[in-house]
Amino acid sequence: MFKKVVYFLLFSLIFVLVSACIAPQTPAANEAANAGNGDTGASRGILRVPHFLARNGAESLDPASPTEFSYANYLLYDRLVALNADGVLEPELATAWATNADATEWTFTLREGVTFHDGSAFDSADVAYTFAHILDPETKSRAARTLSLITGTETPDPQTIVFRLEPGHADFPLLLSSRPTAIIPADSGATIATSGIGTGPFKLEALDPEGTTVFSANDNYWRGAPGLAGIEMPAIADNEARTLALQAGQIDLLLQAGSTAAELLTNSPDHTVLSFPTGTWNGLSMRIDMPPFDDVRVRQAIRLVADRQAMVDLILNGAGRVSCDTPVDPADPYRWEPEGGCPQNIEGAKALLAEAGYADGLELTLYTSDVLPNLVPMGEVFQQQAAAAGINITLEVAPADTFFSETAVKEAFITTGWLGRPTDEILNLVFRSTSPLNEAKFVNEAFDKLLDEARQAQDLAKRTKFYQDAQQLIATEGGHMIAMHINEITIVSNAVANFPARTVEHIEWYEITKSE
Amino acid sequence: MGRLLVQRFSLALIILAFVSLLVFIMVELLPGDAATAYLGRDATTEEIEEVRITLGLDRPAPERFLVWAGGLVRGDLGVSLARGEPINTFLWMRLRNSLVLGITAALVGFPLAIGLGIVAGLTRDRLPDLLISTISLIGMSLPEFVTATLLIYLFSIQWRLFPAVTLVNPDAPLAELLPNIVLPILTLIVLLTAYILRVVRTSLIEVMRSDYIRVARMKGLSRFWVVLRHALPNALLPTLTIAALTIAWLIGGLFVIEKVFNYPGIGTLLLAAIQDRDLPVVQSIAMVMAVIYVFVNLGADLLTLVLNPRLRSRRAVG
Repeated sequence: MFKKVVYFLLFSLIFVLVSACIAPQTPAANEAANAGNGDTGASRGILRVPHFLARNGAESLDPASPTEFSYANYLLYDRLVALNADGVLEPELATAWATNADATEWTFTLREGVTFHDGSAFDSADVAYTFAHILDPETKSRAARTLSLITGTETPDPQTIVFRLEPGHADFPLLLSSRPTAIIPADSGATIATSGIGTGPFKLEALDPEGTTVFSANDNYWRGAPGLAGIEMPAIADNEARTLALQAGQIDLLLQAGSTAAELLTNSPDHTVLSFPTGTWNGLSMRIDMPPFDDVRVRQAIRLVADRQAMVDLILNGAGRVSCDTPVDPADPYRWEPEGGCPQNIEGAKALLAEAGYADGLELTLYTSDVLPNLVPMGEVFQQQAAAAGINITLEVAPADTFFSETAVKEAFITTGWLGRPTDEILNLVFRSTSPLNEAKFVNEAFDKLLDEARQAQDLAKRTKFYQDAQQLIATEGGHMIAMHINEITIVSNAVANFPARTVEHIEWYEITKSE
Repeated sequence: MGRLLVQRFSLALIILAFVSLLVFIMVELLPGDAATAYLGRDATTEEIEEVRITLGLDRPAPERFLVWAGGLVRGDLGVSLARGEPINTFLWMRLRNSLVLGITAALVGFPLAIGLGIVAGLTRDRLPDLLISTISLIGMSLPEFVTATLLIYLFSIQWRLFPAVTLVNPDAPLAELLPNIVLPILTLIVLLTAYILRVVRTSLIEVMRSDYIRVARMKGLSRFWVVLRHALPNALLPTLTIAALTIAWLIGGLFVIEKVFNYPGIGTLLLAAIQDRDLPVVQSIAMVMAVIYVFVNLGADLLTLVLNPRLRSRRAVG
């Protein structure tokens, strides 16, 4: 009798468990069937690519917004000009541009026959409005600081826009290649955050930052109809969860993937792991107004003890590039490279330290944090390398939340990193004496003057020389040890075809196709 | 009994008032605030100050606490700093999702745990007990993210039966949510079953040894009836308190599981809010969890009183 009861209980439990597993399967199948209904294109597929929910639900489709939904905005909008993977400007909504002698007046000819997603025609009024919107303090655009040199715009005819600058800027079109300057329709400032009406290859079907945002092909796209019927962009905030979703076939493409995901999927038969060089860099920052870094010999010694290739291999698993103390993207035509590179030179560093009065060694405290992925390993590796030259480094790991706002502003020696930006922007942002973000407090009149001269120089060779001289000043006088540039990793499912091998900012989304 | 109810209820309210003060102070002590989190690294001091003023962060802390607590009493949770929307508009659907997860896990997990516990308790040290106890110990010892990843690997990546991560909106209808909760629930069941099962097993073994069970057996009742009518009611009482704590944990503490499965519950909302230094949201979720903990425990205590006459009479006398 008792045995029967035990077996009955066991069996009923197994039944409960099994039914719990099987019952909900039907809705899953329904969902899959429903997803297919949106596909109206004959054989064009739907690409599923997650975004990181970086703004935790406040994602805005206004490209100028400080909480812009960047992946969505890549699909929805075009800029006047774009940088290609070689760092060269290409026309996008503008077809040609010209300037006057002192680069204070820039005239752009606009593309004809382009329409916004709502059917209205694109013309110079839209461009004028877009820049007025960016410069409006109410917008709080991050691009406003760089673009504040625009003093006015004129629209002589629908296909022409004139920018007036003060001071002039020989590389002004480069500033218009940044994503926040994407063109929105005139007078759309109040609605653009949710309407997403642009001229881009995909148009918005449903905005749902915390769920799945849906886009459909813009078949009137000026470059040609997209190869996909649409794009689904679900929110997956967690890095591991994104990798699992890719392995489980819930998504097709993982942008800006971590190195762990890359290692995991390198040998996967269903995925391709791509790695692209970027301008994003990591390094150390030394306050040149604080001892012992007020002595240029100490700063130079810090630069000499770094074994940069070892850092790339150890910290980035080889997925990066050595930088000889320049923050400029290796693909940028203005990039400066010293002759002979920048190998580790322990003896040279020791000699400089002895000259500076630290013959018996130097005690330093380096502040680092988890705020960016490579900073803590960077500190650890550098600690080991510097020990060889008698530099004894104490590593302090500060809280990530307040690292940049509190720790970095008061400590003399920190690990740092910045996203890749065009030459003019990164040099002015982090190294110009007047910039609030000049973390090393690098004050050098010759450097500031070079930046101004570069902006005025119409001749490309001259301009390149100014920018390269400026980079050389950073490498010899500056307060940074810039060790390496970080590759961006993209993992793409093999169902996706024609995926352009480029970083996320440069992907031409209309080219991509996917077999269903 | 009525007086007791009023007493316990008032005590619960006082606890909640204290919790609200504690939550506010702890959130205040966190480094950084919504202004620095919102503006990020490129911000200048002036910009941060401007945002602080717009968000009301420049007011003194006691004033902000009173405004917040006053709103709480009226059921107004305030406005999210990061989203600029009233918290009431998005918090409750998130809570619903967490409840769906927790309650389903409890509904499947509790009977399973109790059933397995009974089997293990009655077959002490024999094969069924050894099997159940060993497997449950392993399940209990694995961290939840390991179990979760293992289940995803098997059910989503190898067999493609269930979605690995949830890709639906927090406001999605239940039907869309359901296929997504299977793996999180399986993970939860592995965890909670082991815990409750062991309590049931231990207390059943103890009860089965007591005199009144021997008497019942001696008067000729079958073993089945002895277990069902005499042993279980007593053996399951300690389980009630454990179950209450488990329910509270299931509803309020599933951060890791929600994060691994990208599940749109209050766990992931809280993590995002902490990242954004969205203090009103952090405070609201902490309060909602405190309310759940306090009242689930209160309910379990009262239920124990109802089910156990000994406790009840002792209190009435004392």
